[in-house]
Amino acid sequence: MIHCIDVVEEYHVAQRGVRRVLDGVCLDVAPGQKMAVLGRNGAGKSTLIKIIGGVELATSGRVERTMSVSWPLAFSGAFQGSLTGLDNLKFITRIYGLDYQHTRDFVDDFAELGRQLAEPVKTYSSGMRARLAFALTIAIEFDCYLIDEVIMVGDQRFFRRCQEELFEKRSDRALVVVSHDMSFIRDVCDSAAVIHNSQLEVCGSVDEAVGVYNSL
Amino acid sequence: MGLLGLFGLQWRVIGALIMREIHTRYGRENIGHLWVVGEPLLFCVGVAVMWTAIRPAHEHGVPVTAFVITGYVPLTMWRHCISRSIKAFESNGALLFHRQVTPMDIIVSRCILEIVGALVAGIVVSTGAMLAGFMDPPDSLGLIYLGIAYQAVFCFACALIMAPLSEMGDVLDKFVNAVMYLSLPFSGAFTMVEWVPTALQPILLWSPSVHSLEIIRQGQFGSAVHAHYDLVYLTWSCAVMILIGLSLVLRSRKHILVQ
Repeated sequence: MIHCIDVVEEYHVAQRGVRRVLDGVCLDVAPGQKMAVLGRNGAGKSTLIKIIGGVELATSGRVERTMSVSWPLAFSGAFQGSLTGLDNLKFITRIYGLDYQHTRDFVDDFAELGRQLAEPVKTYSSGMRARLAFALTIAIEFDCYLIDEVIMVGDQRFFRRCQEELFEKRSDRALVVVSHDMSFIRDVCDSAAVIHNSQLEVCGSVDEAVGVYNSL
Repeated sequence: MGLLGLFGLQWRVIGALIMREIHTRYGRENIGHLWVVGEPLLFCVGVAVMWTAIRPAHEHGVPVTAFVITGYVPLTMWRHCISRSIKAFESNGALLFHRQVTPMDIIVSRCILEIVGALVAGIVVSTGAMLAGFMDPPDSLGLIYLGIAYQAVFCFACALIMAPLSEMGDVLDKFVNAVMYLSLPFSGAFTMVEWVPTALQPILLWSPSVHSLEIIRQGQFGSAVHAHYDLVYLTWSCAVMILIGLSLVLRSRKHILVQ
């Protein structure tokens, strides 16, 4: 389980003092649950995902994790641009204690970056970066994956691979997904919440949440 | 996971950070990873050769080459530790995406790299100088080890304090270079406490670095110099600095914005 208990996040904004991005957010994610987080740009979705992933610390409140949670898969972060894909891979296998060769084979097969894997990550297109990030995250068997939009940048083939590896082979895992693609959310998720005015509202069904989102 | 398991994990993370740091900073071109040592080595060799060439062979009865080497190696260690700790969290922000990587790991790995680099450079320079006949073997290796160990702890403590402070605002950033330059007399690298006027001696001895350099020089020159140091003061001041640094680093995590 993941429990977010009364999470408050505030940022210091120049001149205007403090801005409260999240105000008393409570959210539970059970094993296997596919939770969508909806909201307009800047509502605090990515912030919430970062707090769940432990990348950012909440100003107050706490997050309890009794299952393993991935790092947030997003457009930025988790990679050092000046390092090659392989060096990034090596770093991750070291800190997660994985077998290098095994992980490399998996990433090679999944991301299909070929020789580009030995080039610095900053030379990758956003789609290639997403493929690498995805392959690396899936190579580690987390109980819950945090996905911040990133699936959408891939091409058709990549999307099919994700479908296969994440939603079929690992269908028992929990997901927390941020996306603006409502048909994707309807396909993948079984529950949803909407962030608006710093508050998080957990909805009864995905359809209801999409309705709330569309009315914002 | 037990306590031992946690220590194991932290060591793995620190090891991975060190390797990553080496790759990003030095890459694989030409001598590659050897630059870890090459960088401080260039500096120490340059200064040692220059001083040997332009200064009289002995100052205050102490051979100048050995004096420069015993001064510049610890000084380089200190300067590198500080300059690598400035904005270390910001430049390594992406790593904090992984929950097991903490700000503490970042500082520890950077300091290990700088300290080991300076140490190996010191060994190479002094061995070279001894083989070339510009330097006598040390009088007491034990004292040299002790002084270097204290200096390493002092450098680490400085890094622990500077890293979180440098994240708090851009003002400190602008002061650092000037302050580091002005504090050079307090590094103890250029003079021995005995050589300055008695009235100034207690002021120099506020600096823990002066104490550890005096120990190193006592180790190198033996009874040829009269070293001033106080192990109790040195230990206490380093311990207090480390505690301040730890508390700052532990508080800093909330303020680091991860991109």
